[in-house]
Amino acid sequence: MEFKELPPVKEQIMKCVRCGKCRSVCPVFAEIRNETAAPRGHVFMVQMLRDGIVEPDEAVAERLTSCLLCENCSVNCPSGIDIHELNAAARSYIYEKNPSLAKELVFDSLWTRPGLLRTSTKFLWGAQKTGLQSLARAIGLTKILPGDLPRAERMLTDVPVRSGRSMISEVNRARGERKYRVGYFLGCATDMFYPSVARATVDILTWHGCEVIVPKDIKCCGQPHIANGKMETARSLAAHNVKIFNAYDLDYIVTDCASCSAALSHKNMEFLLGGLNIEDQAKTFSEKVLDLTLFLTEVLDIEVPNPEMARKVKVTWHDPCHLANAQGVKQAPRELLKRIPGVEFIEMANANSCCGGSGTYCLTHHDLSMKILDKKMDRAMETGANKLVTCCPSCMMQLKFGARRHHWNAEVVHIVDLLSPFYKVLPKKAASQ
Amino acid sequence: MEIKDIKKQLVKMLGKDKVLTDELDLMYYSYDSSFLTKLEPGKPAAVVLPTSTEEVQKVVRFAYENDIAIVPRGAGTGETGGCIAFKGGIVLDLSTWDEIVEIDAKNMQVIVRPGVIHARLNEALAKYNLFFPPDPGSSQMCTVGGMVANNASGLRAVKYGATEQYILGLEVVLPDGNVMVTGGMNARVIKNVSGLNLTKLMVGSEGVLGIITQIRLRCWPKPKARGIAMAVYDNLDDAPETVLEVYQAGILPSGIEILDGSAIMAVNQFKPQINLPDAEAILLFEVDGNPPGVDYDGKVIAEIAGKRARSVEWATDPKRMAELWEGRSITATAAARVRADGSRIFAGEDISIPLSKIADVLRAIRALGDKYGIKVVNYGHIGDGNVHTAPVINPENPEEVEKVLQLVHDIHLLAIEMQGSTTGEHGVGAVRRQYAELEHGLAVEYMRAVKLAFDPKGIMNPEKLF
Ligand SMILES: Cc1cc2nc3c(=O)[nH]c(=O)nc-3n(C[C@H](O)[C@H](O)[C@H](O)COP(=O)(O)OP(=O)(O)OC[C@H]3O[C@@H](n4cnc5c(N)ncnc54)[C@H](O)[C@@H]3O)c2cc1C
Ligand code: SF4
Ligand code: SF4
Repeated sequence: MEFKELPPVKEQIMKCVRCGKCRSVCPVFAEIRNETAAPRGHVFMVQMLRDGIVEPDEAVAERLTSCLLCENCSVNCPSGIDIHELNAAARSYIYEKNPSLAKELVFDSLWTRPGLLRTSTKFLWGAQKTGLQSLARAIGLTKILPGDLPRAERMLTDVPVRSGRSMISEVNRARGERKYRVGYFLGCATDMFYPSVARATVDILTWHGCEVIVPKDIKCCGQPHIANGKMETARSLAAHNVKIFNAYDLDYIVTDCASCSAALSHKNMEFLLGGLNIEDQAKTFSEKVLDLTLFLTEVLDIEVPNPEMARKVKVTWHDPCHLANAQGVKQAPRELLKRIPGVEFIEMANANSCCGGSGTYCLTHHDLSMKILDKKMDRAMETGANKLVTCCPSCMMQLKFGARRHHWNAEVVHIVDLLSPFYKVLPKKAASQ
Repeated sequence: MEIKDIKKQLVKMLGKDKVLTDELDLMYYSYDSSFLTKLEPGKPAAVVLPTSTEEVQKVVRFAYENDIAIVPRGAGTGETGGCIAFKGGIVLDLSTWDEIVEIDAKNMQVIVRPGVIHARLNEALAKYNLFFPPDPGSSQMCTVGGMVANNASGLRAVKYGATEQYILGLEVVLPDGNVMVTGGMNARVIKNVSGLNLTKLMVGSEGVLGIITQIRLRCWPKPKARGIAMAVYDNLDDAPETVLEVYQAGILPSGIEILDGSAIMAVNQFKPQINLPDAEAILLFEVDGNPPGVDYDGKVIAEIAGKRARSVEWATDPKRMAELWEGRSITATAAARVRADGSRIFAGEDISIPLSKIADVLRAIRALGDKYGIKVVNYGHIGDGNVHTAPVINPENPEEVEKVLQLVHDIHLLAIEMQGSTTGEHGVGAVRRQYAELEHGLAVEYMRAVKLAFDPKGIMNPEKLF
């Protein structure tokens, strides 16, 4: 579709009143502090692009990519503009016109092929012992990371030897009577960096009576591609995932990664696949998608078993942008935390402000990302919690780095990590009666 | 002087981090919230981001010596093109200079630099049980410097008035680069009638006399209790009557706001949880003070409103009050939601009219909307006669643009004809200066003379205000 004809570009630019409300909620603007980083500035620049007043070149891309795509502006825009979608569409347009600017290797070849990605992660694991430089060059990371690689290296989390995929089967039977047949969307980052989360998610779901299907050929949800202007690749990934999940007769499709659930949500599917011949299939798919926290609280309405396993723990919650802003899911994780025996929940100020991680942003815009992270950590530390909980691997990596950076001895965990000990006890007898 | 040399000199003076010179970056400074700048953006030759009086002085002196226009800018939420360098020149973006210099709680005063955001100031003051009462709908984004320059007010002007009532003194960099201190800037008093009142002259001067670099503000004790009565009307004409009767009953609410049927729809679409009732209009009466007084006022208002309103909701729950107040604050922009392929525009949006004529004017505005075939959303500070009109058009359709410009002109003339004013709080800037003679007659000559005395070279925010 022509850039000008894309729904947000065609219908929403003219809705901007330039009231500036979005300036007051943008974490990047709060750091850069001039109009070039204001969300309304991005809307304005996309309009300039649309009208041919500026060229789709590197200079414009540089301004637009200062945005984290955290969506805080969009949810707060009284006019109803999806500012981040305009921005993403413009990035894609610029990269389309300037293939040399695009981050080809990593996003096109690596992230679309899970096998290759997994192999390189293993390679990465080895490389971490020796230094990242040569590896990064080999897999093309140098193309997206300007300059300072040692810094990037510090950011990367330890890569486990086993992937999540290697620990779970394609079909996982429900414990006791089957209530639902659930597709588990195993995201790339969970698979590679947090395999124990994947394992725990499947255990929890099966415990509560779900048969869990993990299709073999799941590909990336497309979120990194959208952020990096690779809209066509994001589209083909989405279409692929729609097809492979629709091949099963599923009641729900669940994921423990907030970025994945946002990418698979109805709104995003419409953004990517609306108007194409796969639109109806995408709708069937996305109507079944739920973030794990919502599924556990609202559909399964779980009671956490084995309360005797409880250990007193003070926790605070970080809202991933892709959950709170993109999907408006704020209550479900808090409700879930309340149901975990032994948990004392302390709300941090501005829990839904971005951590500055945003996929590769923490690498490509390191200094800015650190400033945003520091604010987040200050607010998290104020709570006196000993665990900082969230449900997005990208946030976890960034927050873990933040905790190290601030010498904070609290642990950064996925909400599933808090649940997991309760499910490691005896097999559930009652359910099979 | 050539533009490239101007840029070079500025970078030399302030360093490259505080100067924007790239043509692409400068484009972002070609707009504020006005509709005018959508039609006629104005790109500056350079933007500077000073954070000290000395830096401002350096830039202004340089501009003075080289006859370059200077345009101060806060957050760019003004609706008049006031902060736009339409003919080039240097824009001073003061929004990054946001220091709260001193909170003198004992003397109930605070000193701030111009870039402090209104809402942040009140958060800081709340710790001392104080507040700066003017409450613009743009509180989360506008700067105190911009408020002083525009003499902004807002939702609580009924009881607390406008910014001017709270300015004890100012530090101003004049067009020749000298620093003038006015009123009680260097004193700590609340009352002060010494000398000609240059503070009042500067407040509302919209950046045409000098650059405000420091502000001493008076604060008030934060009221202990609040309550909001929402009266729901099936007939919009009944609303103004209630307002008058409430005053006649000896009640002075802190704010009285109106939303018409379309404004209600817009708010509900943006924030369904606010759940405003479907009606031709609602009135929001906010009362504050001590708990018994608030209860008493609430009861009297409910009684009076009940005579004409379909229903009255009395809220003291902080969550509900916050929702209702937020609902009103966001109307300004949310108005765009009433038309899928349209946007509200900020033009003709701020007339002020006598309380006794509100119903007539609202009717007349509706008729004008019908005449031009343009959807008009009405909301605003009805308690002080300040009606915000939001025409909703497709701003990219030239025919609609032409019609709306006529509509807006008629609205401004209507205000003058009704013994009102073209602007109650947003100011004149570039968009309303054409009405200066009509509104002020001979006084405009004296305004020009004052401007000349301060700014003989005419470099300070030229072609604004009159
Ligand atoms: C959604 C919305 C709601 C609004 N609601 C209200 C309301 O309820 N009440 C109200 O009064 N206004 C309201 N406004 C208008 C606007 O927010 C105010 O006029 C505000 O005071 C402007 O502040 P700013 O920092 O954005 O100033 P800008 O728009 O940047 O500048 C405004 C004017 O002040 C001058 N200026 C700015 N800073 C200085 C300085 N330091 N020294 C000298 N001159 C300076 C500029 O040159 C310009 O002429 C609203 C605007 C929006 C978009
Ligand atoms: S909040 Fe929305 S309408 Fe207002 S300036 Fe930002 S994008 Fe434009
Ligand atoms: S998406 Fe986030 S970072 Fe980007 S402009 Fe909006 S608020 Fe700012």
